[in-house]
Amino acid sequence: MEEVVLRLKDATYRHSLYAPLAFKPWRKINGQGIFSANLSLHKGTILGLVGPNGAGKTTLLRMMAGILPLQEGSIYQSEKNSSSVLSDVNLRNIVGHMPEQVRWQGRKTVRDALLEIGEMRQVNESRIDGLLKLVGLRSRIDAPLNELSQGMRQRLTLAAALLGSPNILLLDEPLNGLDPVAAAAFIVLLGKLTDKGVSIVISSHQVEGLVGIIGRLALMHRGQILAEGTMTEVAEQLNLEKKTEVSGEGDAPDFSKYLTSAELIEVEQSSEEWRAVLNKSEPKLLQTLVADGIEITSWTIRQPNVIEMLCAATGQSVEDVGLEVSSTAVMPLRNFRGEEE
Amino acid sequence: MSDFSRIMVFAKRLMRERLFSTRMYIMLPILLLFIPGMAWGFSDPNIVLPGGHQPESPMEVLFYASLGVVFGATMCAVLLSYDSVSRERASGVLELRLSQPMPRAQQALAMILGSWRAILIPTWILLVFSVLIVRYRMGEWPSIVDGLVYFVSTALILLWYVLFTLLASSYTREQGTAISFGVGLWFLFTFLWALVTTMVAYASGVSIGQENDAAWVVLEGGLDLLSPNGVYHHLLETRLPQIDRGIVPWQSWVMALVWTLVPSWLFVRRMEKILP
Repeated sequence: MEEVVLRLKDATYRHSLYAPLAFKPWRKINGQGIFSANLSLHKGTILGLVGPNGAGKTTLLRMMAGILPLQEGSIYQSEKNSSSVLSDVNLRNIVGHMPEQVRWQGRKTVRDALLEIGEMRQVNESRIDGLLKLVGLRSRIDAPLNELSQGMRQRLTLAAALLGSPNILLLDEPLNGLDPVAAAAFIVLLGKLTDKGVSIVISSHQVEGLVGIIGRLALMHRGQILAEGTMTEVAEQLNLEKKTEVSGEGDAPDFSKYLTSAELIEVEQSSEEWRAVLNKSEPKLLQTLVADGIEITSWTIRQPNVIEMLCAATGQSVEDVGLEVSSTAVMPLRNFRGEEE
Repeated sequence: MSDFSRIMVFAKRLMRERLFSTRMYIMLPILLLFIPGMAWGFSDPNIVLPGGHQPESPMEVLFYASLGVVFGATMCAVLLSYDSVSRERASGVLELRLSQPMPRAQQALAMILGSWRAILIPTWILLVFSVLIVRYRMGEWPSIVDGLVYFVSTALILLWYVLFTLLASSYTREQGTAISFGVGLWFLFTFLWALVTTMVAYASGVSIGQENDAAWVVLEGGLDLLSPNGVYHHLLETRLPQIDRGIVPWQSWVMALVWTLVPSWLFVRRMEKILP
């Protein structure tokens, strides 16, 4: 198992919300946030932070970036056999943070924008050119920020996060605004960085595209980390079994003859072929189906996907959750209640 | 790189950004008209001010010409700095800056220095022109101490307005609110302070606006210490012995220190706690 480089222990941060009263207009209460997060970052591994909107992914990343102070708990840096509590400044020294959607603007050039951040990190100018080459912005080095497209701005933010060669990289929705080719190149770049030992945390809604490179996964909901580990470990924690995807030509067979309703997840029928997802891996079923003359074109056993894991963790299905943000129906794991400071 | 040089480098970058911004190009003609223009007008040998008064010394001319600083340069200071924090916050650049190892207090100091120097440099250049104009028109130089007080006082009033605006900018998420706050404060201290003085005089039973009434003059002088524009004028008056408004020079300088340190401390404290 890879070496742990950073560890969050009971890290808590709750947003302060105004809740004025007639005779106490300055009153504030503790609102939502992150509750007792425990998380380990492993060297050279990508951790995918997954959760619905409002789950607290950005808040957690900001805590890990040293932007939001921890109200409870600590962040430890692990070195060989020892670990030490990190102050905000020390944390910021080893972490590179890429916020979501930085809207670079103004007449300042790309180079000047990076130099400004570089000076705050005490990075020398020669590193800037290399970074711009790495993110594919070298040809735009003297372009004013106003002239950059959203994708270029995203690349510039990544370059800014990489300044100072951080050991840990925190990426908040890094694929937003990138075209498909750039997104693929971005994923390749992440692979190169992990090869160099950089630990990466990615918060993204487009998780499916990242599954191939994610080493570990943390499922978040309502400010809590529900499950964390490798994909297999998370699936085990959630008692999720491997799924079987079957497809064939013609009409879909009547699966009720072979499986109970709990074992069959879904069947899709198109004009010429069908596809079914089974909730279990049952090699004998394949033999039975073939023996009954059903034409099977593919039979794949796969891990549960991230969405299935998230639904399992929250105890709800996609239909139940719908587009509701932070629905109280989603997961009453720990009732949220505002508390006066 | 030491902490001090890091602050100065960052401040220089912020200053250059504002100094060569479009809004500076728009404001330069205004500054040009207000600062050397007033010096030219008040140094006219034939000028007669209300009450039949005629400026007699170069420092007196500079004192009257300081109206150009109060009306023009302070407004430019507000317009240059109103989005220093709010724009970066709205665009996400502030979050990126806050995630850097440079301590927030140092970032705040750099912001103050950068925004202040952006308005200070053109204003001081125009003040130099003003002194030259006064010398040309009156045939006399102001003394070195007069010049020093004039330049330092002007630098201070600009700093105070920059600080108020930065504070407003750090508390607001919308740039419109930040500029409204800055302009509102400018309006209060530039135009409405007379109304505040009048109301206090009325409540205190002092006859209002009587320039020959010692009680009115002392009250007005005292209340002016609570306004940055008033302190600015008090500082300039330390070089005009014929003016006595019941305030001794050390009181003016102490209040100048208070107007400098309190907003600076508030801004640094605010930046240490600001959320992206």
